[in-house]
Amino acid sequence: MNGGRRRAGGVRTIDADVCVIGAGAGGAVAAAELAEGGMRVVVLEQGPRHDADRFSARPLEMLARLYRDGSQTTTLGSPPILLPLGRGLGGTTLVNSGTCFRTPPQVLERWQREFGLEALADAQALDPCFARVEHALSIHEVTPELAGRNAAIARRGAEALGWSHGFLKRNARGCVGSGVCAFGCPASAKQHVGITYVPRAEAAGAQVIAGADVRHVLTARGRASGVEARLLDGGRVEVRAPRVIVAAGTIHTPLLLARSGLGRASGQLGRNLALHPATGAFALMDELVDMAKGVPQSFYVDEFAAEGIMFEGVAGPPSYVAMALPLSGRRHAAAMADYRRLAMFGLMVSDSSRGSVRGLAGRPVIRYDLVEQDLARFRRGLQRMEELFRAAGAREVYLPLPHGVAPERARARDLKLMAFHPLGTARADARPAHGVVDGDLQLHGVEGVYVADGSVVPSSLGVNPQITIMALATRLAFGLLGRTVPPATTDEEAHVLSD
Amino acid sequence: MRKPADPVRRGLDVFVDAAPQPQRSSLRLLLALERRPRGRRLLARVHAIDLLANGLLAMGRYEDPVHAVPLGWDADAIAARGRALRHAEGRP
Repeated sequence: MNGGRRRAGGVRTIDADVCVIGAGAGGAVAAAELAEGGMRVVVLEQGPRHDADRFSARPLEMLARLYRDGSQTTTLGSPPILLPLGRGLGGTTLVNSGTCFRTPPQVLERWQREFGLEALADAQALDPCFARVEHALSIHEVTPELAGRNAAIARRGAEALGWSHGFLKRNARGCVGSGVCAFGCPASAKQHVGITYVPRAEAAGAQVIAGADVRHVLTARGRASGVEARLLDGGRVEVRAPRVIVAAGTIHTPLLLARSGLGRASGQLGRNLALHPATGAFALMDELVDMAKGVPQSFYVDEFAAEGIMFEGVAGPPSYVAMALPLSGRRHAAAMADYRRLAMFGLMVSDSSRGSVRGLAGRPVIRYDLVEQDLARFRRGLQRMEELFRAAGAREVYLPLPHGVAPERARARDLKLMAFHPLGTARADARPAHGVVDGDLQLHGVEGVYVADGSVVPSSLGVNPQITIMALATRLAFGLLGRTVPPATTDEEAHVLSD
Repeated sequence: MRKPADPVRRGLDVFVDAAPQPQRSSLRLLLALERRPRGRRLLARVHAIDLLANGLLAMGRYEDPVHAVPLGWDADAIAARGRALRHAEGRP
């Protein structure tokens, strides 16, 4: 790879084997594996390279700094849903809770059955990809001590009710329970891809350019030829590469492809958006909880997973809780005065609703309406959430509904929702008329342009998607290298990799 | 000359400034109304708007150590502990 040449008009050109757009869960993993496999790789990331020394454990400040739009990306529809997305090296892995689930087997079977993805969704073939990611990110189960008292309350409730539950697996090393996974881990204990795979890519010779706003993917005669981007200093860069991996995320990948005149043949680009809409409930306990002390998302209750309802821990410092509490006025002030005795837990729905993304004046317009089936899941989930807290000994339960509205009578517009797992806007389907990419994650009808982010995931997962995306990116990278994915390394080697 | 904003208001301003348009203007309007008794009464008529405005203002208030530390949350201490651990263990 050359270091870049200036061309007339101030355009810097770089030659590479692969250009990766985006350094999040998909892009960073693909870049590291390809660079280590001997390819010349350039990574263009729109966001900055964050300095962990500036992580302040203050939610308001960090939301503005680490998230796109200051974490205020919102869907249009009923109800509007807040959709926070990370920005910078690491993408959303920088600000997620670190929860790691493999793709559930029944989801893989569905991908094979409904989308013709026999090879992509082959559980046996994906197994070494997952194992490789899990070793690289030091994924292991949270201990009860680190999980904190907020998790202990949910556990007590689940045990009293006989509901299936467990401690979550996370990508963390040396975690001390700072309680601010979503606001930048000041200890760099969370092993997000910005401090694991990105350094690996750079160590293997990849050139990583932060602050590069990719404008177009370039093609010639039906093949990838490169990428054009604008830089923060006003300059421009053109990467000439026969392979381009688009990993700008579920919301921005379809916009980039559409702008480049790619991926539109099936009519599916920007459609099929699934979100895993979620909400949180609170309980006032007699005991001291101090919910922010410990791992915020450390425990799950999957008793109702088959119905598309999953409970996962969520917690935060007082300012975060002040925003999330479904109360106002004096009731809000009274609950905040009791912050140290408040417990919180989250409810996530594996959605049947589908939305869309399109560009308007360069910005995404996200449309998503909750269908009746998902509303029913929220009604049932909130009833069960109240049961869980009551069984744990809650004195009061605050559900995310208007005062006096019972869960079974809730309307879509009554719900206070957020979503963290956008998927599906460039979905994989073996049939060109039904999907944007094929089973090798290559755009239908265009050689050399691949997609490796949540947008290719063709259905809701029902679980957090980060290592599904990473495993698919691993599979793609080894496919491009023409090699089989090697067996996972030992724990010791894995730690060296992630250092 | 305008008085410099207090730290709570500054934190909120940074957060609101990061929002895309037209949300940014809407949030500024909401906060302006929420800070006035008559405005607050007006917002209280619509549940979702009431929650948003009340929550935003409260978020700013509890970011302030004056309100957060008595509730057991010392952000500076958490960040300092994390930094020390990171440097001691040579993490990025």
